[in-house]
Amino acid sequence: MKRIREFFGGIFRVYCREFRLVLRDPGIILFLTFLPLAYPVIYSLIYNPELVKDVPMVVVDNDRSPLSRRLVREIDACDQARVIGYAADLPEARRAMDSHKCFAILEIPGGFGRKIGRSESASAAMYCDMSLLLRYRGFLVAATEVMQSMGGELLTEKIDLVAPLAETVVTEDLLPIENISMGNIRNGFDSFIMPGVLILILHQCIVLALGMAGGARREKASAIGYNPHNNARYIPATMIGQMLCYSTLLALPALYMIHYVPLMFRFPMEGNLLEEMAFLMPMLAACFGIGFVLQAFTTERESVFVSWVVTSLIFLLLSGLIWPRYDMYGVWKAMSDICPATWAVEGFVKMNSNGAALWQVRHEYLMLWLNAAGWLTAGYCAQRWCVLPAIYGKSRKSVDKEVLPTRS
Amino acid sequence: MNKESATLKTGAGAIMVRSLVQIVRRPLLWIAMIGLPLFMFLFVTSMFEKGLPTRIPAAIVDRDGTSLSRQITQTLGGMQMVDLKETPQSYTEARHAMQEGRIYGFFLIPENFEADLLSGRSPEISFYTNMVYFVPGSLLFKTFKATAVYTKAGVAVSVAQSAGQDPETAAPLLQPINIAARPIGNPQLNYGIYLANSFIPAVLQLMIMLVTVFSLGQEIKRHTSTRLLRMARGSIFRAVYSKLLPQTVIWWVMAIFMVSWLYKYNHFTMQGSWGWMILSELLFVMAAQSFALFVFGLLPNLRLSLSVCALTGILSFSIAAFSFPEESMYPAMNIFSWLMPVRYNFLIYADQALNGRDIFYSRIWYVAYIAYIILPVTVMWRIKRFMAKPIYAP
Repeated sequence: MKRIREFFGGIFRVYCREFRLVLRDPGIILFLTFLPLAYPVIYSLIYNPELVKDVPMVVVDNDRSPLSRRLVREIDACDQARVIGYAADLPEARRAMDSHKCFAILEIPGGFGRKIGRSESASAAMYCDMSLLLRYRGFLVAATEVMQSMGGELLTEKIDLVAPLAETVVTEDLLPIENISMGNIRNGFDSFIMPGVLILILHQCIVLALGMAGGARREKASAIGYNPHNNARYIPATMIGQMLCYSTLLALPALYMIHYVPLMFRFPMEGNLLEEMAFLMPMLAACFGIGFVLQAFTTERESVFVSWVVTSLIFLLLSGLIWPRYDMYGVWKAMSDICPATWAVEGFVKMNSNGAALWQVRHEYLMLWLNAAGWLTAGYCAQRWCVLPAIYGKSRKSVDKEVLPTRS
Repeated sequence: MNKESATLKTGAGAIMVRSLVQIVRRPLLWIAMIGLPLFMFLFVTSMFEKGLPTRIPAAIVDRDGTSLSRQITQTLGGMQMVDLKETPQSYTEARHAMQEGRIYGFFLIPENFEADLLSGRSPEISFYTNMVYFVPGSLLFKTFKATAVYTKAGVAVSVAQSAGQDPETAAPLLQPINIAARPIGNPQLNYGIYLANSFIPAVLQLMIMLVTVFSLGQEIKRHTSTRLLRMARGSIFRAVYSKLLPQTVIWWVMAIFMVSWLYKYNHFTMQGSWGWMILSELLFVMAAQSFALFVFGLLPNLRLSLSVCALTGILSFSIAAFSFPEESMYPAMNIFSWLMPVRYNFLIYADQALNGRDIFYSRIWYVAYIAYIILPVTVMWRIKRFMAKPIYAP
């Protein structure tokens, strides 16, 4: 009974003292305020136009027929492309592309109109700059749309010529095709990438803040101007106390990130907020576990930047948002399995954008809990056998000795 | 103190040796300068090695169950991009499969499809793609669209035939206009060529900036900067540049390895001159270091300048317009795109390696590198002031 009381007392004392420690450390404050509050906004603003429109294109028209002009007009009328002018020949068009004035060249060969008149199939070539796939995708969509709409109109005209009666059948679309984009109905880039990135930001806030706090514990109190130690008699009590403190501080920023940022930028918001919160709980726990492990390798406050910041990219690529997980190599897939970010991004995106309910992401939820259990255990081991010995030397007794003065 | 200054070796050489020893003694720097970049080189290229994902899990909802609808199923199943994993019986079932992530899209054939089609009641076929996952979603869209268009063409041929048109002459009518896309430099639409060429230099930039600021900030944090200044006989330029030069050399080795890793081992498109590409990477390393030095000059607080470098370094992946074009961003954000050294690295790569353009067209980007390298001169006096009186603020 006494032990239990001491355990919970320890949690409470660590919880209260951790607040004071965090408030004294501007670095951790920055991770817990600026990072979750400003970063999602900056990030969303970059991609907020969502669609790539009016990418410049140059035309080389070797045909100069009404049909070739109609083709150019129709492509220009597409959302994605904008014809900035005609070039006399391919070298001139290439010069325009080389000087970064346009990103595609449409070359219409001579005899284009005549071929169509002869009921043959006429082709044109579109040379695209491949530095950005979104530009290429836009040109491709524009070309496909024009091919189909113009093709349909020409078909109707032709069939009318050879068999006048058929017009009645063909003018009405025989087989309408409808395509619907689910989840991200505008096909926007911001709506695609940001829900996942929001989760990654939350993930990194926790790990970086804990890492920096761990670095502080290894520094001399005189160097940083305060005593950074905060330990209860039992390591789990220490960990729980610190986790509760950071969770309290992050509750509002997390709510802001998963609810208000999507609201501000009109991202898909199909999920139930309470279910999303419940879903992210084990992710938070797993992130704390990773943070506790990171503390074993962090010998000073600032080294988390050098060692940890780049992992954001690793987590993003492993999450399956950019490259689908089913097609990853075994080793990367295994690595992504033990990242809580993977499951959190997968599940959150499904809930937030595709409107999945909690029961539909049960696999991700289970994996998150397993990750949380695994990482917290690893965190305990790191604290028990790396961090505490590094701070207090080998003997366990000195830990308790150090604890007493910190109780206030 | 006097004893120390008597034995203190001064001059650029001594500072370089000291800087090298500092790197050797700090495993964190081995990881940051060699381990992490090498891992990222391998990781990013291996992740996208297949070029494009194939066999994307999808489903077809066949509400009709006739020979025509089965024919469509077969056509779709034969497509390389698609793996028809499930056969849901209803839209709701298919939507649930999509929500749970088992499939990335589905094709819907309505009830009475064949009968409606034959009697001219214009049934509608529709397909649904999950655009939350951009790459598989877009690829599925393309495949579904092709299948739908083939189906429609087949129908149109039979209608033309029934109206008395010869099937052989009807065929070209189905697609009177064909616009063939010619993707220059990346004909397979390889995702690796597209992403690795921008992401890997951006990783290098991030690490260069962090390590530069970290190593300079350590001098102030540990109050060794006064000693450094004495070794440099009071010249801040000698102090800073001699300290950074050993790092520059290590980064140069990494950058040259990066060029050979990308264009030699992975055979990514390299249409331009190796000389200009390597020069670009060497200048890029110095530009990134100088950018970090400038940040450090503005904010000589170790943590703040590291925060700024981490923020800009990570934001570079987005703001430097590797995926979303800079001209489509808001003008106010667009400006920042031009502030990062890696942007110029990307533009030179696109000009030289990908498109093999004349160096004339990339001249401005090289000048931009030079501008970065000159930039920190303006803040050297501040760095000197803070190094002479080091104060560590956590």
